[in-house]
Amino acid sequence: MWIERQALAQEIPAVAAMETRQLCELLASLGFPVDGLATREGTEVLDVDITANRGDAMSHRGMAREVAAKLGQALVPMAAVEVPEGAPVIEVRLESPTCPIYSTAVLELGKGATPKEVQAFLSALESAPKRLPAVDASNELLHRYGHPTHAFDANCIRGSVSVRWAKTGETLVTLDGVTRTLVTHDLVIADEAGPIALAGVMGGNATKVTETTSRVLLESAYFDPKTVRATARRHSLHTDASHRFGRGADPAMARVARDLLVGRLQAWCGARLVGAWTAGSRPADRSAVALGKSLLTRVAGAPLPLEEAATALTQLGCTVVSQNEGLAVIPPSWRHDLAIAEDLTEEVLRLRGYEQIPSVLPPLEGPPEPLSPSYLQRQLLSRRLAHLGFHQTVTYGFISPEADAAFAAPENAPGGRTLENPLGQEFSVMRGSLLPSLRSAAEQNLRQGAREVRLFELSPTYASGPQGPVESFMLGVVWAGVLGGEDYLSPARPIREADLSGVAKGLGWNRLPEIRSLGEGLFGFEVPLAELPLHGSRIIPAFRAFSRFPSVERDLSLLVDLGQSHEALVSAMKRALPNEALQDLRCVDVFRHKSLPEGRQAWLMRLRFQADRTLVGAEVDGWVAAALAMAESLGARLRA
Amino acid sequence: MDHLLPKEIVEASHAFPESLAACGDLDALLRLKGAYVGREGSFAARLMDLLKTAPKEQKRDLGAAINAFKQRWEEGLKARQAELEAAKKGLSALADRWDPSLPPPVPAQGALHPLNRLMDRLVEVFRPLGFHVEEGPEVETEAHNFDGLNIPEDHPAKASSDTFYLAAHPELLLRTHTSPVQVRTLLRVAPDLAVRGGIRFLAPGRVYRKDEIDPTHSPMFHQVEGMLVGHGIGMQHLKGTLEYALRALFGPHTEIRLRPSYFPFVEPGCEVDVSCPLCGAKGCRVCKGSGWVEILGAGLIHPNVLTYAGIDPSEWSGWAFGMGVERMAMMLSQTPDLRLFFENDQRFLKAMGGLD
Repeated sequence: MWIERQALAQEIPAVAAMETRQLCELLASLGFPVDGLATREGTEVLDVDITANRGDAMSHRGMAREVAAKLGQALVPMAAVEVPEGAPVIEVRLESPTCPIYSTAVLELGKGATPKEVQAFLSALESAPKRLPAVDASNELLHRYGHPTHAFDANCIRGSVSVRWAKTGETLVTLDGVTRTLVTHDLVIADEAGPIALAGVMGGNATKVTETTSRVLLESAYFDPKTVRATARRHSLHTDASHRFGRGADPAMARVARDLLVGRLQAWCGARLVGAWTAGSRPADRSAVALGKSLLTRVAGAPLPLEEAATALTQLGCTVVSQNEGLAVIPPSWRHDLAIAEDLTEEVLRLRGYEQIPSVLPPLEGPPEPLSPSYLQRQLLSRRLAHLGFHQTVTYGFISPEADAAFAAPENAPGGRTLENPLGQEFSVMRGSLLPSLRSAAEQNLRQGAREVRLFELSPTYASGPQGPVESFMLGVVWAGVLGGEDYLSPARPIREADLSGVAKGLGWNRLPEIRSLGEGLFGFEVPLAELPLHGSRIIPAFRAFSRFPSVERDLSLLVDLGQSHEALVSAMKRALPNEALQDLRCVDVFRHKSLPEGRQAWLMRLRFQADRTLVGAEVDGWVAAALAMAESLGARLRA
Repeated sequence: MDHLLPKEIVEASHAFPESLAACGDLDALLRLKGAYVGREGSFAARLMDLLKTAPKEQKRDLGAAINAFKQRWEEGLKARQAELEAAKKGLSALADRWDPSLPPPVPAQGALHPLNRLMDRLVEVFRPLGFHVEEGPEVETEAHNFDGLNIPEDHPAKASSDTFYLAAHPELLLRTHTSPVQVRTLLRVAPDLAVRGGIRFLAPGRVYRKDEIDPTHSPMFHQVEGMLVGHGIGMQHLKGTLEYALRALFGPHTEIRLRPSYFPFVEPGCEVDVSCPLCGAKGCRVCKGSGWVEILGAGLIHPNVLTYAGIDPSEWSGWAFGMGVERMAMMLSQTPDLRLFFENDQRFLKAMGGLD
């Protein structure tokens, strides 16, 4: 919100002598940081950030109240001349408790214009003056004192006026020219022909003040914040008035603002008061909030005498009475945010200054907890993968339905994971797989000219369930491009499925990993973290004896069919071998060449034996022969 | 006696040292050796033939002259051979020698994502104070995301223009902050809070808000939430903890500043500024000359939040803070565009994430 320095100084003169920087720091220390400065109409304006709970501070008077309280000074009294009230000129009925008070007046406008200095004030706040005294005066009051008011063209009002809930199907053309279809939760000002304003939000077009308006009906009321917020949101109509009423205006200002408005119109354009009256009355003061000494001291972290608290709260407009061991505090009518003792404590602390809070480490009252195994698992895995050359990615949790369908498990229906209001179709499904996101990141890197791409992500994926999406952490890994060829010892070769399979195995995935081809030379896999080893709960695993006798290694070069499964061959050969002596059996080389019989390839099978004794050559020969026989039963032949 | 010898051989003998020097390798030397002292057809062989047919009275002198030639040639050849062999040996030694400046095969080096790195770092900083990590789902209930945090029923953040909702489950949404982890954790520990002696934890994680993607907005981003519940906890404990943590992060001379602010789930609430870690509070572009950078929001847990979780606010109190990870990462690295964190370009990841 824009605050004009001179106007602020008119409310609290001490500001006039302050350096701008000093003023900004003072406001920030009170909870109102200044986001920007500008000079307009030859005067300095401050862009002050006001939190949503402080509707009362959204004016020069409101801001001055804060500064005055902090400085322990008094505000300049408001120059309101009380307007004598009389019988209603037009009947005003309040039909909903959400509008407890409605002060009004009817005036006949004379000749005259908005004073230059008021026009400049409004321009400086980026609120263009309309050069219609009734409208400009209302705007000036809003910025200066924070209370929204409205002026209707009284000649356009038909019959009596009521503040009531809208009826289904009623419409209203608001000041911005838009036709609003109202619902029964919209509070309206209506005449006998229908709504003439959205209460606390915006006036109607049909009753607006124009150059030809000769008679005005003023409105200075109080509307329930929730009602105003709901209507403003429903109609996407966020106005100066709705902001202030929505955050809570000061009901005590209803009459005062009306008086100020009348006074301005009389002064600016010689308006003649036809009559002023108030329907309803301001709500009673809220009940007192008890504030104890122990809470003050606990929150402040240092002794905070009740006298200091009483002074601070009084400065802020509260009515404070001492009561046993504490204070009974009635918040002022403009402070809707003060409801409990903690709120009051904050006020006291705010005026004392947050810089007075001491710095103390909280004592440990119980034993600290360890990090969870699942968290540690992710920490270790991500470091492991980074050391293996993979780069951790962060991609959005939502993807397009098409990308999702290509990888999500068939039983994982997307319906249960789809957003109601996505940013766009491409971000509409909570992903069932990490691979689509990793694939697009890899492709992007390849397009950018990367020679080799290694990426991984550790993130949740979502499975549709009856209670909603079920999240489980997944590891996704992709690898593409050319390996090696960047130094004199490592020959270049394309990445193969087996490279990823090796990574999966190395991470401790015990299943035969499913490696997906994701594009030209781009491969990936994903594994639920539940299937990878957890960070061990034992510090050191139990000891397992190992043989100190030498191991014996034998190689068999076998001709096998091109379609031969390694797993099948190994498990067949193992059946012929003594479990206790066989250490390892695997293919260590594959040879494919046109010199081999068509449809065949050569596998170099390495067998390693070790036992708790020295193995004898003859017995190893026997095992190898038996293993060969098993291999031959699958169609393998010893290569000559 | 040279006049008795063929002119051609005498000239060859004169040319010998030059020819010897011209032999660049052992093969050439072998050829030269053949030409001068070989068994057949060489200059030496021809001289021997000459000696055989020479008149008797010349034989002695001629023989002496021939021997002198031969000796000179053989010695020359031998010396040159030794030289060439030494050179060859030197070359092969050179060939075997490893040049440490020749680029070696380097083990592949990947990187953690900078956002993860920063979150890990925060956890590390808080660990010595007894904080552990709590986590929660990204798809949350409205109750955990809003109601349990004292956020009013009609708060604008609940609107579908701000928060993503699930189509098939209207009560579910993508959490808009990590604060629902507070609610979940407090609900869980409430029954045995006294036995535990309160609780203190961090909750790092991903959150979602309905913002269009641009250089400063992303519909998904990260937060780190911190919370502590104990007896007699006040603003001094919040300040003490944050001062410790921010000094651990940014250096021992770091100052912090609390300013009043408002969040529905804390009372009192504050914004926390840190003395600009980039310029040492001298004033720079990042701190806009003020020497201070806003780093997080915090406050004492609102009694309604404790009550919602079944914790008696007259006995227990605590503080909570929440910080935006991207915002801090951008500030520290001066990355100009938030989108870079989600593009996952390996060059960016390598440069920004690295590995410890």
